[in-house]
Amino acid sequence: MEQKNRSYNKCARRHPHTIITDIVYHAARWILGIVFICASFHKIRYPAAFAEAVYLYQILPDWLINLSALVLPWLELLLGVFLIIGLWMPGAVVITNLLFITFMGALSYNMARGLDISCGCFSTSPTAGAADIWTVLRDGMFLAVSLYLLLATFRSVPTEGRRLPSSLPE
Amino acid sequence: MSTRDRSNWRQALWQIPAIILMAGLVGISVNSFRPDSIPVVGDWSVKTRMAAATQDTIVIPLSEAAKLFSAQLAVFIDARDKQDYESCHIRGALSLPWYDVSKRFPEIAGDIPSDKAIITYCDGEGCHLSHDLAVFLRDKGFKNVWELVNGLTVWEDANLPVEEGNAGSS
Repeated sequence: MEQKNRSYNKCARRHPHTIITDIVYHAARWILGIVFICASFHKIRYPAAFAEAVYLYQILPDWLINLSALVLPWLELLLGVFLIIGLWMPGAVVITNLLFITFMGALSYNMARGLDISCGCFSTSPTAGAADIWTVLRDGMFLAVSLYLLLATFRSVPTEGRRLPSSLPE
Repeated sequence: MSTRDRSNWRQALWQIPAIILMAGLVGISVNSFRPDSIPVVGDWSVKTRMAAATQDTIVIPLSEAAKLFSAQLAVFIDARDKQDYESCHIRGALSLPWYDVSKRFPEIAGDIPSDKAIITYCDGEGCHLSHDLAVFLRDKGFKNVWELVNGLTVWEDANLPVEEGNAGSS
């Protein structure tokens, strides 16, 4: 019986690896959340300028340009808030990944066909500078963080006492 | 796949459309109340954009630009990057890449004659570099500054003279 209790006490202690994984997971949520919130402000403030930026990508059909310019910034803001407070994580991380894949695809496609346009990622100002390989790499970095969150959310190992939805990989 | 994984995916299935729907509703609602709202479905056709552009006093029609070129009463300034300029530009044009304008402008300022019209251009219907450069030059005190929309393409389509090389990039 005593041996059993000792064994229980030993198992109840959290492994340092779990703590580190927790920190990484929460840091990833916060980083992406802040990125999305920062990215949304300028676009929400200047919808016409953002619509122009979307138009310059020359990817979407005309009828979708304004609609995207109106919805995308609020989607980014909502995702940012959801990621930070940990609400609806499964849905939020899937959309986050789809968005980063779309952004990277659009940037790469336009670079490949030689369009010299500004990114429109964090600012709608045309003087913000042309999108280049560093812009794609930056998005790639965000995508990597986002993929980690996806794996952490869906490859679940329940952790006791976690307020946030799912779980982390051990 | 564990029960928890399946549960996460099931949650994601309803959360994804719910988040997008929320963003859509908020985005469109906010837009309908703001003074600088944009139409949900905009008209981005080339015809409309060209019509809007020609109402802007900064835009010069191709016929006028060609006349000034023939009479040697205008200096053309290419707003694209140096590589594009070197591969093809309007004959005699100077190079002043918009994305390097603060550094390059002092170098080129002395070559811009004050007694001639200044016509900026880039390439492509969606290219805004020439417009930004024209506004910049007006801000710098040049009075007779114009923008040739979709410059290089319309110039070449009209069989007007172009050249290669870096003669005007000093």
